[in-house]
Parts: sequence; C-alpha cells; structure tokens
Amino acid sequence: MSKSAKLIVVLLAGIWLLITLYPFIFMLQTSMKTNMEYFTSSVWAFPENISLDNYLTAMNSGFIRFYLNSLFVTISSLVIIIISASMAAYMIAKIDFKLSNSVFSFFLAGMMIPIHITLIPVYKMTQTMGLYDKLTGLIGPYVAFSLPISIFILTGFIAEIPRELEEAAYIDGANIFQIFTKIIFPLIKPAVSTVAIYNLVLLWNEFIYALVLISNPDKWNLTLGLWNFQGQYGTNVPMVMTGVMLSVLPLLLFYIFLQEKVIKGMTAGAVKG
Amino acid sequence: MQKVSKLTIFLFLLPALLFFSLYMVAPIPLSAFYSFFRWKGFGERIFIGLNNWIELIGDDIFHKALFNNFKLVFLSLFGQLPIALALAILLAKKTKITDILKTIYFVPLLMSSVAVATLWSNIYDPNFGLLNMFLQTIGFENLFINYLGSPKLALYSVIVAINWRYIPFYMILFLAAIKNIPDELYEASKVDGASKWENFRYITLPLLRPTIINASVLSLVGSLKFFDIVYVLTGGGPNNASELMATYMYKNAFNSLRMGYGSTIALALFIIAFTFSILFMKATRKGDK
Amino acid sequence: MKKSLSLILSISMFLVVLLSVSVIAQEEIVLWDITTEAESELPVIQDAIARFEADNPEYTVRHVPTSNDDYKTKLQVAMGANNEPDIFMSWGGGPLKEYVDAGKVMDMTEALKQDDWIERFVPAGLEIARFNENYYAVPITGMRAVLMFYRTDIFEEVGVEIPETYEDFKDVIVQLKDAGYIPLSLANKNRWTGSMYYMYLVDRIGGKEAFLNAASRDGGSFASEAFVRAGEVIQELVDLGAFPPGVNGLDEDQGQSRQLLYADRAAMYLMGDWAYGLIRNENPAMLENFSFFRFPVFEDGKGDPTNLVGSPGGNMYSIAKSSKHKEAAIEFLKYLSDETAAKQLVDLGNLAPFRGVEKYLDDPFMVDIYTALNNANYVQLYYDQYLPPQIAQAHLDTMQGLFGKTMTPEEAAQMMEDEAQKYFNEN
Repeated sequence: MSKSAKLIVVLLAGIWLLITLYPFIFMLQTSMKTNMEYFTSSVWAFPENISLDNYLTAMNSGFIRFYLNSLFVTISSLVIIIISASMAAYMIAKIDFKLSNSVFSFFLAGMMIPIHITLIPVYKMTQTMGLYDKLTGLIGPYVAFSLPISIFILTGFIAEIPRELEEAAYIDGANIFQIFTKIIFPLIKPAVSTVAIYNLVLLWNEFIYALVLISNPDKWNLTLGLWNFQGQYGTNVPMVMTGVMLSVLPLLLFYIFLQEKVIKGMTAGAVKG
Repeated sequence: MQKVSKLTIFLFLLPALLFFSLYMVAPIPLSAFYSFFRWKGFGERIFIGLNNWIELIGDDIFHKALFNNFKLVFLSLFGQLPIALALAILLAKKTKITDILKTIYFVPLLMSSVAVATLWSNIYDPNFGLLNMFLQTIGFENLFINYLGSPKLALYSVIVAINWRYIPFYMILFLAAIKNIPDELYEASKVDGASKWENFRYITLPLLRPTIINASVLSLVGSLKFFDIVYVLTGGGPNNASELMATYMYKNAFNSLRMGYGSTIALALFIIAFTFSILFMKATRKGDK
Repeated sequence: MKKSLSLILSISMFLVVLLSVSVIAQEEIVLWDITTEAESELPVIQDAIARFEADNPEYTVRHVPTSNDDYKTKLQVAMGANNEPDIFMSWGGGPLKEYVDAGKVMDMTEALKQDDWIERFVPAGLEIARFNENYYAVPITGMRAVLMFYRTDIFEEVGVEIPETYEDFKDVIVQLKDAGYIPLSLANKNRWTGSMYYMYLVDRIGGKEAFLNAASRDGGSFASEAFVRAGEVIQELVDLGAFPPGVNGLDEDQGQSRQLLYADRAAMYLMGDWAYGLIRNENPAMLENFSFFRFPVFEDGKGDPTNLVGSPGGNMYSIAKSSKHKEAAIEFLKYLSDETAAKQLVDLGNLAPFRGVEKYLDDPFMVDIYTALNNANYVQLYYDQYLPPQIAQAHLDTMQGLFGKTMTPEEAAQMMEDEAQKYFNEN
C-alpha cells in the first residue's frame, strides 16, 4: 500500500477514534462533577475537583440490586435467544422444507413491529400468565422481541456454510442434532457472538418494557434505577452520567471478554476450505 | 442430503416459535382491530369504520414523517454501511492496536439511547455546545448554527447522531463476515501478485455481498421504525420538522390519547416496512442468481 | 417445672408464629407517583408512609415512583390493561377527567365531607379535580405560580426598572439587547416553556374568560382575538430578538435555559416558582442576584393584573375505583396532608396546598409567592393540564411554530380551535 494511502488510513482511523473516545471521556468527566459545578462552569471543562460522590450516592441507592436484576434478566434472555434463534435459523437456512419461506417471513415480520404498539398486548399477556411485576416476566417479551433480528442474522451466516460439511458428517453417521451442535454451531461463532453482543446491549439498556411490566422498586433493573435521577423540572446531569458509566462499564468488560473467547475459539477450530 | 423428519424440523423451530407467538403475534392484528375505533387506550371503544385510515391518507404530518423516514433510510444506509465496512476491513488484521481500537470504536453502541441523546444535545447546544465552540475557535466566530432548533437542520443533525451510534453494530457484523473468508484465497492472490485494492474488489466484496445485503435490510427496517434518539433529542420538532412515523405514532397513542389513530399509524408503518424489505430482498436475490 | 416451662415455650412459639403470620398477611396499598430520588418532596412521602404504617400495622404502602414523562405512559398502559394501582398521582384537570370519564377514579366527595376533611385543603386546589360537582383527587404538593425571574444585578448594570406594562417591557428588552444581553432566556424544545408566555398573554389581553369560554365551548373560541393577538405579541418579541437564538432546540430538562442566566448572558426567565429551588441547587452563589416580578399588563387588556398562571393544586392524589383498599387509602392520604406533612413540605421549599400553611413560612421568597398566590383573583391552570390531552398537544405543537415563526398567529390559533372542535364533536 502506498505511503499516502497509509496516511489516509491512519488519519481516518484517528478521526474516528476521537469521535468515539471523546464522548466517552466527556461522560466520564461529567459524572465526576457536582450538579453545581456542571452549571457554573463550562459543560466541557474538566472537573476542578474530581469527585466520586455521585458514584457513592448511586451505590447507596441500591445499585447492586439493580445490577443483579439486570444481569439475571439479560443473561437468561440471551441464553434462550441464542439457542432458539440458532436452531430456528439452521432449519430455515439449510433444510428445504415446505413452509421455510413462510416461517422466515413470519419471523421477519416481527422485525417491522414498532415496539410501542406491543405494550398493551404484552402487558395483558404478562398479566394473564401471572408474571406481572416479576423479573421473569420480562424474559418472554425480551426474547420474543429479539428473535426476528437474531434469526435474520444467523440465517444469513448459516446459509454460507458449505453443504459438503454437513454431507460429510452425515455420511459419517451423524444425526441432525449432532450436525447442528458439532458442525454448524461452532462455525457460526463469530455470528453468534455478534448477535449475543447486539442483544446484550439492547436488553441491558432496555427501558420501555421494564417501565411497564415492573412496578416494585425491589425489582427495578438498571435502566429504571437510573431514571430515578430524572426530576420533574430539572435533571441532575452529572448523576445521570454516573448512572450511564455504571451501566456501560460491565458491558464493555463483557465485550472485551467475549472478543477474547471468540478469537480463541476461531483459531482453535477454524475450518479450512 | 438426508430427509429430516417433520417432527425434527418442528422441534428445532419450537422454542423460537413459542416465544414469538406468545408475545409478537397479537400486536399487529390487534392494531388493525384498534384502527377501526376511536379509543383513548383505556375506557370505551367507539367504532368509526375507516375514518382513521381516511384521516391518515390526508394527514400532512404523516406525509412529512414518511418522507423523513425515507431520508433517514437513505442517509443511514449510505452513512453507516460504507464507514462500517471501511472500519471492519481496517480492523480485520489482528494486532494489539486493532484490538484496542475494536473496543473503543464499539463504545457508541454501548450507551443507552438517552445517554446518546443527552450527549448530542450538549454537542449541538447553540450557545455552549461543542460544535459551535469548535467553530468559534477555528475562526468562524459569527457562524451560529442552530442544529436542533432549525426546521431545516434538525433532522440531519439527528441523523448524524444516529449514524454515530449504529456504525459499530455494522462494523462488528462485517468483521464477523470477514473472519469467515478463508485465508487461502488471499494467499493465493498474493502469489498472483494482486494489490490490496484488487483483493478487496475481487475477493472481499463479492464474498461479503450476502452480509452487505442483510445489513442493508436491517438498516432499512431499523430506519423505518426508528424512535428513541429522535424522540429524546427533538421530540420530532421543531414543529414536526424531524417527525418520524414512530414518534408520530407514539405522540398520538400516548400523548394525545388517540390510541385508535396511533394504531393506524403503527399498522401503516408495519405494512410499509414489510413491503419495502420484501421488495428489496427480492431485487437483490435476483442478482444472486 | 419442666412441663410448665415447655408449655410456656410452646405457647410463646405459637404466639410468635401467629404474630408473624399476621404480620406476613398484610394488605398492600400500591402508590404510584413521580417522587423519585430527584424530587425534593420524597422524604415527605416516605415519612407519611412510615407514620401510616406504624399506626396501621395491618397495611403496608408500596411506593412506586417513576420519572415524570414516563410516569404518564406507565399509568396509561396500566389503566388500559385494567391493572391500575390503588393510589395514583396526576396534576388534575383534563387528563384526570379522562380517567374519571372512563370510570377509573373513585369519587372522593363523601370521604372529603366526613369530619370536614375538605376544610384541610385550599379550595382552588380542590377545584381542579372537581368534575360534575364531585371531587376526584386531593392536592398534596406545591401550589405553583409562574413568575418572571430576573437578574437584579444585570438590571442595575443596564439601568432598567421592573416593567409594569407591556410597553415598558418592550423598552426593557430593547435596552437589555443593546447592552448585549439575551433579554428572555427560554428553552422551547419542550414546548410547555414557551406556552407560559402564551398563556399569560391571553390572560392579560382577553381576561380569564377568553380561555375559559373557549375551553368550555361556551361562546368562546381558541381562534378568537385574544389568542391571535397573543401569538402576534410573541412574534413581535421574537423580532425584537428577545429570545435566545436556537430557542426551539434548547432543552429545559437539561437546564440549557438556566445556563444562559448563570453564564451572565441572559437577564430574565419566565418560569414556575420551582426555579428558585433549581437555582439554589445548581448555582447557590448566584441566588441572591435573582428576584421576580409579575408578568406585565396590557393597558388595553381585559386581564386582571393579579391573575397568575400556575397550579393551585400541584401534584394531586386520586384513588382508583378498582382499589380494594379504598378506606385505608383515604386514611393514608390524610397522613399525607396532615400538619406534619405540611411543615415538612414547607421546610423543603414546597408551598403545600393546605389551609393554614402560611404559619410555617419563614423563607421570604416563599412568603412572596404565597402572597402572590393568595392575592390572585384567579390562577390559570396550565393549558396542557386544564384541557383534554388531545387539544393540549395541539396547543403545545403550535408553540414551536410561533416561536420559530413557521406559523402565523392566525394559523396557530386556528389549529388549536380546529383540534378542539374535532375533540368535542367526537366526545
């Protein structure tokens, strides 16, 4: 690659780095200000006295509990989504059954549904199932709402897997379930990790279902707990930023962790044409 | 290949079908049902036949929202995907630096929509915001840009924030696809003396085609039903300048207590999104053959 | 000896079990409101709950606060699914009436008449929850008045006085502008902020009848003279450069209007009295430079100069008709409105809408507000609380049009009138 091309690449990468990193720094530094400092000096200024008071306040308001609640709901939903979506995607992508197009369109249609019109029906269904104001009650809607896009992405990736691999395994005497678990699933690890991360982020930050289906403050997840700092007439912006930081950090850690695992998995069992 | 029994197919599909059917099947028919009524979301429902639909067809604000949605589709597609692809190619090689970059580049997607909106609200603040301050320091002192308050600019300012937020998603999607491309192909072309650009054009791009198409569908649908960042940043304003179908629907259903009309808008959104994605996929599938 | 000991032990154990069973078998009253951590009144609610539970051990109150905007959605969905809480909060007026009309709210008239509980509350506060001669909510926190806050030091520096009339007001604006200040700080992305100007203008120009007759469809119209003129005045002020540039994009929730005041860029701020609390929280050092005056009058206007825009009742609490604990809920509300609560509210800077609350007032600012409210012949409840939500939204939408000059005053007024006609035709 020519020198000037390399330079352009570095420049673009650098600009993008700035564009993504600076907002994060802004939020971090704001979270370390008091409300007073936020309003009296420039919004962009670095805090005069770095204060972790906001974090202490947040911790004291039961943040641990919010974390655990969010963790429970998100991980449970994620596991169910990955398993059910990849199983369904496999059928749709590889098995030519009569209704495969219809089933695909059925799930696809789910992607087009604007979330707000599902509020009342989902509320009613949750109530009927006796799951109102229960954390487990969130899992159903979370899974249902994430399935279409997950199936869509996974179907796309599974379709790319060469037929020969399955045929070879079949000839070796494997049944469909073994083919799925031993051949297909390992091959779609990057796709699965993408779907996992995407859904994780979405569900971790999910708000509207939590707002409507959960009532008891004991059961509040992170997003509801964060909202505590939003007032009727004014917002404590540094406090909100603190909440955002506390919410983002575990996600970041999980993402890094997942990346590591996926890379290892890739180099361990990668298939060569 | 072997014949898979119908039972097996059903069992594989069952978990997904179960969850999906329980929660997602009802809303669309229900919305269709509600669209024939005048209803506040609670209390009495009054049958009004096709009145909501007639109103929708003549609703200027809905037309504007629809038009805005299409602008968003176009600007998201061409604003997010190319940059995401470029970033993915950049990060495809595994080095210490790319690992760090991969993490940092991912941050916009990690934040909640409200965090993103708060951030950009401050960036766009005409008096104290980062953008105008930056412009001032580089010498454009008299240039005062009203990013969110100007009817002409509001939508585009929001679209910039949206693109910033979602590029990382497409970046990791493309990264996953690139990882699937066997190394031998690149090694073989090296032997043939191909340049990086030729690699990209003749190996990477064609093999990424299915993923790019899928990403486009996702972008298309996402743009048509987009809601949160817009609602928090501008509320659809000023004066409906940045209104989208989903924000208009929400306002009607929940703020104005017109659940019947809101359902009508939602159903129209659904039909439009479904139609366009099917058309798009059909058109791109023809290319595959 | 052993026998009697074991007998005593078993009886005590039995009693303990009985006691804990009865403690476990408590009735739960669910309370939904907006008093989150960010709201200063939270301790008052929590204290009332503690006191009520202490005196009524068979009941426990579950307090579920949600932040403002999301609260409305949450309540609506619950109402729509017939799963509303025992006690819920509202701001009275049109939105509450919607729930009343749908048969969701308990009629509290009988309960209020018992033991003269009705005497506890400021009458104007009860009025905003009175429909068809019956009462459906009690006011609990914050009588509110919208006032023109201003920087006394900037006024002194520029050499202007508090304006009495609209003509004076325009002079002040021009002088401030010439001195390089933004005369009126306003963040109108939220629309209700701009609406405050509009509401005052309509009242000053057309008197309270202009609005009331239009709202009750009693010979009035939202497209009448007073409304159009109010729009014209706003655009006149826009032309004078009275408002911050980019006004329709500024966010009140993030305090982007107050930032202008703190940065010495703006001089005046039309806002509810809660602004005092906000300033005290955000920039206490500058608090002494703030004072307020009442919205200017029009010499040819029909409005009563003592009228205020605001809320005589603040946050109102209602009981769901479907509640299984109506009496207990009423009891709880009595704790929420007793003398202890009154004193606590005042200490937090909140003008509780209870009679006799003035004896607790010692903060001069609060005394001033209380006096203004007391002397007002009429307090205009914010339009977006008074009117049915459908019309309220149309009204709010026109605000950005007016301030951004993308609508003419006639168009804005007509749009609101059209929506009103549509609503009342259908209902």
